[in-house]
Amino acid sequence: MAGIEKASAPRSGAHTVIGSSIVIDGEISGDEDLVIQGTVKGRISLKESLYVESSGVIEADIETANVEVSGQVTGNIAASDKVELKADCKVVGDIRAPRILIADGAVFKGNVDMDVKAGK
Amino acid sequence: MASLDGSTIIGESILISGSLAGDEDLTVRGRVEGTLTLTRTLVVEPTGMVKAEVQVKNCVIAGVVVGNVTASESVEITREGRMVGDIAAPRVIIVDGASFRGRIDMGEVDVGGERPVARVEARPAVRPAVSRPAMTARPASAPKAPEPRRVEERPAPPAAPSRPAVPPAPVAMGAVKRKVIVKTKK
Repeated sequence: MAGIEKASAPRSGAHTVIGSSIVIDGEISGDEDLVIQGTVKGRISLKESLYVESSGVIEADIETANVEVSGQVTGNIAASDKVELKADCKVVGDIRAPRILIADGAVFKGNVDMDVKAGK
Repeated sequence: MASLDGSTIIGESILISGSLAGDEDLTVRGRVEGTLTLTRTLVVEPTGMVKAEVQVKNCVIAGVVVGNVTASESVEITREGRMVGDIAAPRVIIVDGASFRGRIDMGEVDVGGERPVARVEARPAVRPAVSRPAMTARPASAPKAPEPRRVEERPAPPAAPSRPAVPPAPVAMGAVKRKVIVKTKK
């Protein structure tokens, strides 16, 4: 009977979830994964992954290891590993990361910097 | 327990400073500083730390809360809970083992019917879904006081004028004094 529960929440286990009706104005920092379904304004700095789900709205500068965006982000994103813009996301701002993935259908406006040395 | 929808969790390593508002339950295992406004329940877990002006419907404190808490329904400080600040709520539950310093305002308190039996009836200790009216935030100054004349059935104590109309006062007053010291420290 308990086995049925197992797959219930893929991302809500030990991680932080900001629910869809939540509005945060200020700064979020931490060392763990963060899932955002609500609205965050200000600044986000994490040492792990940030997931902006489709209901998520972010007006903030983001500094993390990984970012996965399905919602809306306005602000600059700096990731030490990877930034992934999913199909129905909307991103306005500059992105700086060694790996940047933009899916078909993503809306993006801004600069991309993969830290490539021009004269290799 | 943590359903995907309608529930927000602030994880242990997370610090949020600023204002947080929402219409869903919030579980704090990390830290929140600033202001916190919810139309639902705030749960501060044992690892959680809230340093904020809190305005919620229900509040369960098993961690640390520093700041004033205003709840439209209830505030409960559990055995592990620690709190410094003022509470304003129609129902306040502080269990054995909890630590708390500050003032408590339960809204209008009927000190007219001073028999403890009557008070228990007026505010059940269990938590039913009683929809108490939105609190009027008036401390016990409601014009209900001048009717204790009709307490004839009381066992008529020898010293008639000693009307023990000060049930929560001693604790609260002492707490107020100490709280002032806390404030000046900041």
